[in-house]
Formats: sequence, structure tokens, C-alpha cells
Amino acid sequence: MVKPSCFHCQLSVLTGDTFQLTLNGQQAMFCCAGCQAVAQTIIDSGLGDYYKFRTEAAAKAELVPSELQASLQQYDSAEVLADISNKRENLTEIELSVSNMSCAACAWLIEKQLNKQPAIAKISINSSTQRALLCWQPEQLPLSEILLLINRLGYQASPFVADEQESLFKAELNRYLKRLAVSGIMTMQVMMLAFGLYFGEYSGIDQSHEGYLRWISMLLTLPVVLYAALPFVSSGWRSIKARQLNMDVPVSLAIYYTFFASAYATVMQTGEVYFESVCMFTFLLQLGKFFEYRARAQARDATSNLLKIMPVTATLLQNDQQHTVSARRLSPGNTILVKPGETLPADGVVLSGNSTVDESMLTGEYTAISRQPGDTVLAGSINHDGLLTITVSSALAHSRLGQIIQLQQHTLQTKPRLVEKTDKLARYFVERLLLIAAATFALWYFWLDPERAFWVTLSVLVATCPCALSLATPTAITCALAQLNRKGILVKNAQALETLPELSHIIFDKTGTLTEGRFSIANIEHLTSLASVALNESELLNVIANLEQSSEHPIARAFKGYLQHSLPLTNVIISVGHGISATWQGQQLKVGSAAYCEVPLHQQTRNNKANVFVLLNQQLLAAITLADVLRPGAAELVANLQLQGFRVGMLTGDSSGQAAELAAQLQLDFMQQDCTPTQKVEAINQLVASGHKVLMIGDGINDSPGFNAAHISVAVESGADLSKNQADVVMLQPDIRLLATLIAAGKLAAKVIKQNLAWAVGYNLIIIPLAVAGLVSPYIAVLGMSFSSLLVVSNSLRLIKK
Amino acid sequence: MSIIYVLIPIAILFVMLGLAIFFWAVRSKQFEDLDKEGFSILFDEDNQDKPDK
Repeated sequence: MVKPSCFHCQLSVLTGDTFQLTLNGQQAMFCCAGCQAVAQTIIDSGLGDYYKFRTEAAAKAELVPSELQASLQQYDSAEVLADISNKRENLTEIELSVSNMSCAACAWLIEKQLNKQPAIAKISINSSTQRALLCWQPEQLPLSEILLLINRLGYQASPFVADEQESLFKAELNRYLKRLAVSGIMTMQVMMLAFGLYFGEYSGIDQSHEGYLRWISMLLTLPVVLYAALPFVSSGWRSIKARQLNMDVPVSLAIYYTFFASAYATVMQTGEVYFESVCMFTFLLQLGKFFEYRARAQARDATSNLLKIMPVTATLLQNDQQHTVSARRLSPGNTILVKPGETLPADGVVLSGNSTVDESMLTGEYTAISRQPGDTVLAGSINHDGLLTITVSSALAHSRLGQIIQLQQHTLQTKPRLVEKTDKLARYFVERLLLIAAATFALWYFWLDPERAFWVTLSVLVATCPCALSLATPTAITCALAQLNRKGILVKNAQALETLPELSHIIFDKTGTLTEGRFSIANIEHLTSLASVALNESELLNVIANLEQSSEHPIARAFKGYLQHSLPLTNVIISVGHGISATWQGQQLKVGSAAYCEVPLHQQTRNNKANVFVLLNQQLLAAITLADVLRPGAAELVANLQLQGFRVGMLTGDSSGQAAELAAQLQLDFMQQDCTPTQKVEAINQLVASGHKVLMIGDGINDSPGFNAAHISVAVESGADLSKNQADVVMLQPDIRLLATLIAAGKLAAKVIKQNLAWAVGYNLIIIPLAVAGLVSPYIAVLGMSFSSLLVVSNSLRLIKK
Repeated sequence: MSIIYVLIPIAILFVMLGLAIFFWAVRSKQFEDLDKEGFSILFDEDNQDKPDK
């Protein structure tokens, strides 16, 4: 039977016809109350067009809980607002990060809805970066109201503070775009004129017409050499100053030498002009640089929501009064209150209250840890279920979270450098090329024929122009990047691609990388026949899901997907760190740990893996095993990589037996458990020091220092934004098998680069002696150069089709 | 063929105009989100009262 799909999120409807609406005379089905409410809001606001034109299904919507309203209100305090927004005359400007946007229609939907508010002067949403720029009058409409409006449409918005580097990135990207336009458009014009000259060469052309076309070509080439090609000159100049010649030196030499020779020919009305080659060459190189830079900018935009993990506000307790303050202004000794579901804004010691906290942000482990008065708690961890009063011991900047970020910045500076192979080749090549050119000039000027010295030298330089050589690597890399991008792999550091074929070790993080990083039901054992309580398994899970809805605990989240319809539960009591109980149909229902459910000892040993028990009216119903299951395809991936000759290992912060079990199951070559971020770095450094090339793949913030220690780092899709920000490669899809795709693409690109280099070097070796002997006229030289460049470019283009 | 002395400068003027417009477009952030604007044409300006046909 085909299950109907939800009108809003298009997931299949598991709940029958519980949630439905009549829209335009048609019945629409929904999977949950959240989607129903969002669709209702959208239709009622007259924005039903959204459903007609969207290209992607919406994300599953959650009902707006009443606590959210309260937690959003903390952004309304003038002090907090001042920290996260800018004043523009009587308007306030703020950047928001909006999650759950799936296509451009979402951006339209939010803009349309917010523009109805008179207090909002301007809202512009960028659907590719998931950011919104908002200009409004906070006196008329508090920020919390706006965030709530966005929430009702099924998106989550939170204030965002872009860092300075990001705006620099944007400005640089715009400059690239402009240079690309100048060189591209001018290439077209000059090429057009060049065709006139080609035909003139063939069938005869008026002297005055030829001169005119040359002068115009020179005029049009001027912006290219004086504007578009400038980055090559400055980079080449820097490398000369550092006495480390790079590829930009011969590139700028070729561009300017060819330009000046052509200009000389134009003014003196003698020789040949090559303006079209100058323009085309610049354009092709700029194109490659632009694509690489854009991939990096995209990755940055998508992942730099670093400040989202840094809590913005805190509730300060002063003389028994609660104040909302900016988290940055907390100082040691302050007393703060942390409500369930909030992120801890500072390191501290619990003063009163019991709760479990999720420190996955810092340790990578999702198992909740219980905290009592006197225990230390860390900034960045999430408080699950109890109210905590905390004495601040160190402020946000000096907290453990802050230290990890510092450690990571420190390791970044000592990252093993990937040598740019083409640069090494260029250094070798350029020196010899210049020597040969100088020797040729001297030879012809002093001994052979002073008249021809200039033109022979020019043909040597043009024929050996390292165009093909300098296009060989960047074009192949650009094509490989574009191809990987289409498959959902974002390569931020193009050099990583060149290093891939040399890898010897691949290191995985456990939680969230090899495994799903969250609990799901692995096994349910029925201890009493369910028929005796008139329930089937899905009904039982529905009951548990209803009960666990009241809890923020990660175990509770495992049951979320099993919620079908709400049941009336009364008397819900959460016993922090143990379980949860309620009254259902007059019976007492308890779900929790073995001790909480008073499970007899022999039962416990029989089900020693089970961690959740269900008790109905003192009768033990079921033992449920929750586990962090392997990601689909992880086992095949590891086997496949080992087959290719890689040593595959795992570094994990997990100290439990699960790590060893997993390592045995996947037959990993090496494994180290119970690692702190520093120990991970040390382990990787050891491998690097013994000469191995290491790839690290992980997801958490605790992995990011390790990322910088490894040669190549890969962040998986579900990872923390900070780790994605640091990684060389970001996977945009929750599929770990993409790693094999990445490695295969790296090998293929290396092969194409090798072919390109072989052609470029071979061609140069043949043409140099001929050019030195004066047998190659500049016209032939330019033909040869263009042909070998074209060959290299089309060889690289094969990568895109694969 | 002396017409090229007039036509080519005119063509160059157009090229300059095109480039100027492109620079303006970059500066006014039109290249920041290429997906959204393509959609704007699909949606009616105001469709609150218009029933679906």
C-alpha cells in the first residue's frame, strides 16, 4: 500500500488521517501537528503559491513550544540587542541565520510574510547561505516577535554575528567576479578583431585597416593587463621577494612580454600581434581561480555559523532577581541560572539543582552525564532536564570551549604544508627558461644576426610560454572540484585534492562519523506478552513516545519518530538521570533505567545490554536496547578502503566497550579510545612524523584540532559548524560512502594532471631547440602555444563528464 | 570598409556600458543569491483576493 505523503514536508504519513486540512476544496494530509500548523499559517496568509513553485519539499516542522517564546524574549533586552545588532539612524540592522530553508521559494515565503509588518523596513534573505538581513524598528516590534513569525512558517531563525573575515571574503569574491568579467568580455572583443586580422593575413588587408584593428585591439587589451591580470603580478612579485619563484612569475612574464612585444609591433607597424592570446590566457586562468575561490567562500558561508554554538545570553541571578545579560559580560563569581534545553554560557560549578548535561559539543559523546551540586560544568554543553544554578568559574572566552578553539587555531599554524608540485616545477622551469631566452638573445645579437635577435627571442618566449604548463594543474583541479561539488562534496582546499593519491592512513572519529551519533532502538525484548495488556508493539512505542515528549534527554529523542497521536497523560514526573513516569488510563507507567523500574537482578543480567525498561502497573513489559548504530555503508567503506591499501583506524573520545566492539566489527587496523582532543592531535602527529600521509574524518568540535594536524581533513554533513569551518573537505550529504568517491576523484585528477604535464613539458622540450635556431616564426609559435593550451583544457574537461 | 572607423568605436561604447552595468550589479549584491530572483517572477505581486482558477 502506498502511504500518503505529508502535504507540507512530503514525508510519508504514518499517523493515518489524524492531521488534515481542507485547502482549496481539497483534502490535504499531514504527518504531524507541526506541519499542519505551518501549512495553515501559510495558506491563511495568502502565500499558498509557495506550494506551487517550491522545488524541494519543506523540512518537517515542529510545533512552536510555548517555552520558545520565553527563550526568544531574552533577545529583546536592550543590552543583548546592542551586542548583536547595528544601529542605522532610527533603524536597527541584524543578521539572522535561518535554518531549514530548502529552496528559493522558502526565501520568498519568509520575505513576503515579514514585509507585511509595518515595523520592518527591509528584509532580504539569501537562500544559498541561509542568512537574512533584517532592518526594523525594535521599539515597535520586538525581535522575539519577528523570530516567532519566522518560526510559525516552519523555519528556525537565530541572531548571527558574522565575523570580519567573512566580509573580507565577500569583497574579494566580488573583485574576482569583476576581473573575470573584464577579461572575459575583452577576450570576446579582441578575438573578434583578431579574426579580422587572420582573414586579412589570408586574403590581403589594407595597411591602414590592419593598423587600425591592431590599435583597437591594444586599447581593448589594456584593461586586461592593467586590471584583470594584476593579481598574478603581485603574487609573482611576492614570490620573487621571498626568493621562492612560483607559477605566477612565468605567467606574468608571458602576459606582459607578449603584450609589450605586440604593442611594439603595433606602434612600429612591424612584426606580429598576440593581443587575443594575452586576453584569453588571462581569462582562462582567472576562471580557474574564481571557481576555487567561490567554492571556498561557499563552504565558509555554509559553515561559519560558529557563534551559534557560543551562547548569546545568560540569566544572571542578582539578589534573587533574574536579569538577562549578554553571555560575554559574565565574570567569575557570578551566579547564573540555566533552564532545561539551554546551552551553558560559561564554565562553572553547580550550586544547586540536579540535571543531566550533553557535552557532545566538547567530547563528541552523546551520552548524557548527570550533574549534582559541586560538580563542574562546561560552557557549550546543553542542559537537558533540570534547573541548574551555577557559580561562574571562568568566562566564555577562557572556558574549555574557548581553549579548544585556541588549540585549534594553534594547530592550524603548524599544519603540515602541502607542497604545490606545479610550483616546484615552475621554479625549475622558469629559471632555465629565462637563461635560455637570455642566451638566445646574446647568441643572435653578437654572433648571428643582430636584426633578428629581438624576434627570435620573442618566439622563444612565446613558444615556451608556460601557458599549457600553468593551465595543466588548475584546469584539472577546477573540473574535478566542479564534479565533486555536484556529488555533494565541497573541497575547500584545492591542494588537498593533489595530496589524496599519496594518502596512506585514514583515521575515523567514532560517534557521529562511523555511527549515527544518536540513539536509536536496536532491540525490543518483550518480557510480558503484550496481548495481555491489549497493546501491540507500535502502540506501546506510541505510549512511550508520548511520555518521553516531556523530556529533553537524548534517550527520549530516540522515541520521537514513533509518535503517532497524542494520548492524555497526567501526573508526569521526571526523575533526573533515572527515568520518567506518568499515569495513563488510570495505570502507572514508568520508563527508565533498571534501578528506576526496580528490575529484578536476574532480568538485568539476562538483558545486560538493555538500557531502558518499561513498567506498567508494576508489571515489566519490555526491555529496550538503545544503541548508537553504524551509519549505512560504513562497513563496506572501511573494507573497500583497506582493499585499496589504506591503513584505516579510529580515534575516539569514547571510553566504553562499544569502541572496541566496533573496531573488532569493522576490523580496523588500529584504534585508540578515551582520547582528549590533545591526545588525538598527538596520535596524528606521531603518524605524520613517521612520514605517513594522513586523512582525518570527523564531525565534532573535539575533532577540529586533529583536523589541522592531519594532511587532509574531512567533515561529515551532520558535524558541528566549527569543524566544517576548519576542514579541507566538507561533505554536504549524510553519506559516509562519499569518502570513497572523493579518493577516486583525487586519483583520477592526479592522472589527468600527469598527462597534462607530460604534454606541456614534452611540447616545450621539442619547440625550444627549434625556436632558438630561429626556425619558428612567432606566428607558428603562437599557434603551437594555443593548440597545446587547448589540448590541456579539453583533457581536463573530461573530468567533468565522468 | 571605412565604416569600421565609426562602427567599432560605437561597439566599444556598448562594451563599456555593459561592463559598467555589470560592475554596478556586482556592487548592488545581485550576484549573492542567484536562485531567489529567478523565482520572483513566478509569484504574483498580490494574490490575496484572487482565487485559484
